Amino acid sequence: MFRNYIKIAWRNISKNKGFSAINVISLAIGLSASFVIGLMVYYDFTFDKFHKDGDLIYRVTTVYNSPEGEDYNYGVSVPLIAEVKQKLTGIQQSTAFFTAEPSKVMNAGFSKAFNNPERVIYADPDFFGFLNYEWLAGNAISAIDAPNKVVLTENRAKKYFPNKSYNEILGETLVYDDSVAVAVTGIVANFKDRTDFTFEEIISLDTGKQSYMQDQITDDNWNSTSSSTQLFVKLNDKNARSKVQRQLDVFAKSNESENAVKYNEHRHFYLQALSELHFGGNYGVFDFTDYNANKTVLTSLIWIAAFLLILGCINFINLNTAQATQRAKEIGIRKTLGSSKKQLIFQFLWETFLLTLFAAFLSILLAAGLIKVFADFLPEGLHFGLFADPFIIGFGMLLLVIIAVLAGFYPAMVLSSFKPVSVLKNRIFITNSHLSLRKGLIVFQFIIAQVFIISTVAVGKQIHFLMEKDMGFKTEAITYIRTPWMDQSLQKREVFIQKLKAIPQIENISLGGSPPASFNTHATEVVYLNGKTEVRTDLELLYGDEAYLNLYDIELLAGRKLRNDTIHEYVINDACRKVLGFESPAEAIGKTLGQGKDAVPIVGVMEDFNQRSLKTQIQPMAFVGDWSRKRYSQFNTIHMQLNQQGSKNWPETIAKAETAWQTVYPESDFKMEFIDQTIAKFYQTESSMTKLLNWATGLSVLISCLGLLGLVIYTTERRVKEIGIRKVLGASLAQLNLLLCKDFIVLVLVAFIVAAPIAYYGLHNWLQDYAYKTRLNWWIFAASGFGIVALALIIMSVKTLSTASKIPVKSLRTE
Amino acid sequence: MITIIDLEKYYATEEVRTIALNKLSFKVREGEFVAIMGPSGCGKSTLLNILGLLDDPDGGSFIFNDIEVAGFNERKRAELRKHNIGFVFQSFNLIDELTVFENVELPLIYTGVKAAERKERVDAVLEKMGIMHRRKHFPQQLSGGQQQRVAVARAVVNNPKLILADEPTGNLDSSNGNEVMDLLTELNEAGTTIIMVTHSEHDAKYSHRIIRMLDGQKVTENILADYKSSVAP
Repeated sequence: MFRNYIKIAWRNISKNKGFSAINVISLAIGLSASFVIGLMVYYDFTFDKFHKDGDLIYRVTTVYNSPEGEDYNYGVSVPLIAEVKQKLTGIQQSTAFFTAEPSKVMNAGFSKAFNNPERVIYADPDFFGFLNYEWLAGNAISAIDAPNKVVLTENRAKKYFPNKSYNEILGETLVYDDSVAVAVTGIVANFKDRTDFTFEEIISLDTGKQSYMQDQITDDNWNSTSSSTQLFVKLNDKNARSKVQRQLDVFAKSNESENAVKYNEHRHFYLQALSELHFGGNYGVFDFTDYNANKTVLTSLIWIAAFLLILGCINFINLNTAQATQRAKEIGIRKTLGSSKKQLIFQFLWETFLLTLFAAFLSILLAAGLIKVFADFLPEGLHFGLFADPFIIGFGMLLLVIIAVLAGFYPAMVLSSFKPVSVLKNRIFITNSHLSLRKGLIVFQFIIAQVFIISTVAVGKQIHFLMEKDMGFKTEAITYIRTPWMDQSLQKREVFIQKLKAIPQIENISLGGSPPASFNTHATEVVYLNGKTEVRTDLELLYGDEAYLNLYDIELLAGRKLRNDTIHEYVINDACRKVLGFESPAEAIGKTLGQGKDAVPIVGVMEDFNQRSLKTQIQPMAFVGDWSRKRYSQFNTIHMQLNQQGSKNWPETIAKAETAWQTVYPESDFKMEFIDQTIAKFYQTESSMTKLLNWATGLSVLISCLGLLGLVIYTTERRVKEIGIRKVLGASLAQLNLLLCKDFIVLVLVAFIVAAPIAYYGLHNWLQDYAYKTRLNWWIFAASGFGIVALALIIMSVKTLSTASKIPVKSLRTE
Repeated sequence: MITIIDLEKYYATEEVRTIALNKLSFKVREGEFVAIMGPSGCGKSTLLNILGLLDDPDGGSFIFNDIEVAGFNERKRAELRKHNIGFVFQSFNLIDELTVFENVELPLIYTGVKAAERKERVDAVLEKMGIMHRRKHFPQQLSGGQQQRVAVARAVVNNPKLILADEPTGNLDSSNGNEVMDLLTELNEAGTTIIMVTHSEHDAKYSHRIIRMLDGQKVTENILADYKSSVAP
């Protein structure tokens, strides 16, 4: 019986090649998207599943509640560590570590230092008892129990000492930042499974007290929190969570600062489960983790996959119910010969499954392509090889069965319920209910396609708007180089600047802090007393020398620039002026912010410009000099205006700058950034999203149009005789085309009417995230609607015109 | 074997109710060859569908092998049908996507016969019908006569007690038609009951008894002279 089904399925598939192709392609598109997205979901949900007692491991994080809202930090204040270790009950273990970014590491045997070794931590002696590493050399107990010890992973050990055995590496000395010497006391295997604990060099915590981290590691202030301070606990059992949380609440409460109480800002310590760690959410994973899985993104992706799959299934349902009459005779005969309805349903489901299986094979090829297209969107570890994972294979099979049932069940019901008597007498009528269901499904398809199209246009418009909008300062042909942050020497910076000045293509140079718009923020809180009330505001600080404002073309609205590089004066921006309550820029000049020895006069007001992505409003800001130069200079970045006309000479200029860099900072890597590229980076999420949306739109439109084409082919072929008669009676080609397309165009229009408000609502909500938004003009909707109607018409006309232009006598004769 | 009493069937549209069978009664005994004749629209085909358990009567009684089957649901009818009844149609009704062998095999599949036995039985019946050499061909590749022989082969492969034939020679030329009628006669002589609807007086002569119908009623019933002796009234 089974073989019989396969045979007839195969013959039916090959008999209707066109329809089968449409079915298979539509399903394959949906499936490939599902496979890739399923892979992403699986990938992200299988992080750190291998740890012993993983369900008892929690990270302690910090949540701030203030009248302005919630704020999060995935670190804790350092004194909490001792408190947890000494007083907290209900936990079996805890470990604390500090993520660090040494700028270089050296060994007597190296010819050159390794710059910026990544994923370095200073960990307390409990660390290796907490996470179970496989030891290749050394042991968990004594590896980091004293100062000046380091444990390397096998990857790092092989990188630093390529020709030595693990035991030979033990005892080697590594020197971090020319000052901290440590002996290699152990080598552990890197975790084989997916993990966020990707540390490569684990230095004993006591060592950190000699490093640049010393201030932080020994910080005893309950009110300073750094995200590099990591604290993990392992509960006694699941039920201990609330008990532990209560104790943490007490620690938080009893160490609140006066100011925090005064301004109603409360801090909580929150237990973040290990399973939540990978989904950074409000937090993040670790300082050096660049990929944050995002549940919202994953959810949207799952929706996209589901939509594409549903579109594919709809094509299947539509084409198969439309073709039902062709199968009717077979069904009648089978029933007469004793087939039960159940057997027929099974037969058709099996046929669907076979097609789905084809689609699946095709989709695996497509998926490989999709993974390439979205390479920059996907985490590094996600590759095609994951398809071999038994879980993924199982999921794939389950999905195929679900799809086959979803797509095949309704057509199977329709077909199998034909009455043999009427079928054999050629008296089958496709009832209206099937027809209206098909129409309903087409409308549904086009609603989805239409929503995608409108969204693509509108999101594209918003992103274009963001990219093109004037930031308020000059962004053309400006580059900047950050000098090595470990090297505080101003003389060296000056030497470097002098060398740069000798390069003719560089027109203007300034020494300062970050560029006007960047990912970095320095902020302070200032108070202004205007006699009656006290105005309190956060104030972002922008550091730069006298050339800075000129270079970035930021103009003054009133007052003057700073008198010199270190004088305590503010040039505030206009936004700050408004927050402080000055009617005009001129009114602000000469007023003082802060009191006593902290009092700083406002000497100028500069025009507003955007400091970050246009998602956010312009914040109060002040342009300042290098106040803390004696302790730590903020002037660490060199900004350059290149010759705008000579952009073809820039590579040469950059090469010259690099040569200059090598003579001043021979040990550091040269990295020059263009400010417009930095700004473009603000919108990385948006550009990935656009790419994704473009694909989703393209694919959904493709599937929907394929389905439409299939139905048009079918209905047109059934009306060949009618077309012939109409032609004989004098109908023109255009009239015939209209006749054939009319019904479908109406459906597409209905879809537009439903889709437009849905899209409007969704986009309106999305735009709320942006402080600066483009308008949702009527033409976005009109153009999208017109576009899809035109596309549908073109696709249909391919078939209808060729049918309508046939010589009528032929079609009539064949009847 | 078959007893129908006051059998009724209506076709109703919104305005008109057409009576297809009007209190029709007759009996068919095991081993008989009965021809049903009458003009178009007299209810012959409706009757055949009901006799073939493809359709349900609206009134009256239909006793098949001592069982009252009027009012049986689709599933029960299918069960009874596949074990007892074979069909031969005017338009052959072979499945185009299946080969000759596979078409004939179909009833055996539905009655759950094992593959090896199926092959044996199908080959035997194809041999008997003289179409063994065509077993791998598709219906469209055969002549009308050959197609009808395949259809007959399919009808008998299950050894049904009853064969219902709906104008089996309607689409055939006379020589092919005679061949098919000879086949049916042979089957009847081997013990199979045959009820045949036909327009052809020539074909009707092959039967034992002719029931003539008009407007859903039996008008006459004549037992053909040659068989009077063998079949008691």
